[in-house]
Amino acid sequence: MELRGTVKILDQNYKVGDVVKAKIIIIHKMDTGFTKDKESGKTFPRFYMKEITATYNGTVVAHFELDVATSQNPVLQFPLKVTGPGTLVVDFVNSDDDKAQKSVAIAPAG
Amino acid sequence: MKRRSFIKGTFALATIGLLNPVLFRHGLSATEEAVEMPYAELLNDYLSGKKAEDGSSIMTLNIPEAPENGAVVPVEVTINHPMSADNYISNITVLTTKNKANKAVSFDLTPASGMAYLYVNVKMGQTQDVVILAKTNKGKIFKASQNVRVALGGCG
Repeated sequence: MELRGTVKILDQNYKVGDVVKAKIIIIHKMDTGFTKDKESGKTFPRFYMKEITATYNGTVVAHFELDVATSQNPVLQFPLKVTGPGTLVVDFVNSDDDKAQKSVAIAPAG
Repeated sequence: MKRRSFIKGTFALATIGLLNPVLFRHGLSATEEAVEMPYAELLNDYLSGKKAEDGSSIMTLNIPEAPENGAVVPVEVTINHPMSADNYISNITVLTTKNKANKAVSFDLTPASGMAYLYVNVKMGQTQDVVILAKTNKGKIFKASQNVRVALGGCG
């Protein structure tokens, strides 16, 4: 299954040395394994976004292990210290081991 | 008469179709993949024998006290702690206390993060506490919590 997600930098006009906030939005179910379908009575299997890794110019800067108490379509924000121009690459892995990769350019002003 | 019986038949089928879920809802209960994660167990795993220090003085929590919907509760935490190369927050974990599965997220930071900050959306089945645990690279553990009143549960 194709995973849908996005990553962006919330701040604008940042310089080298500033701490910016990055935001990750994932369109994904977070089924706990306890919920039942009202129509058929079947239990939804446990199915959730498991692991998110953010890499900035080759260095891992943030690593998330999500679990089912996170809301559906999780939103995450995390800090990042800008050390120079480059890319922030984010890898998503869900509980079925489907993978996706998204990236955003980091271009400090000045 | 053919047409009338046909209509009767369709109505009968439709009624059975509507009743079916009610009749069989309790018949099937396959929860083989559901894993309960009690709060006490998760907390003990995280502490692993150590004691948690009160982190309410250094942590700034931004959590609504009574959100409209338990399915999406925004949790924002800022920790006032240095992030130098030899003294930094290495992990922030967000737990709930009364869900069936209580672990929301575990976030590993590095000094490259620049500050200790996390925003995540949590879902809650009932009124309970959100517990934030933070670990430094030296093994110190800070703990802070806030009660959240949930009128409409968002958890199965």
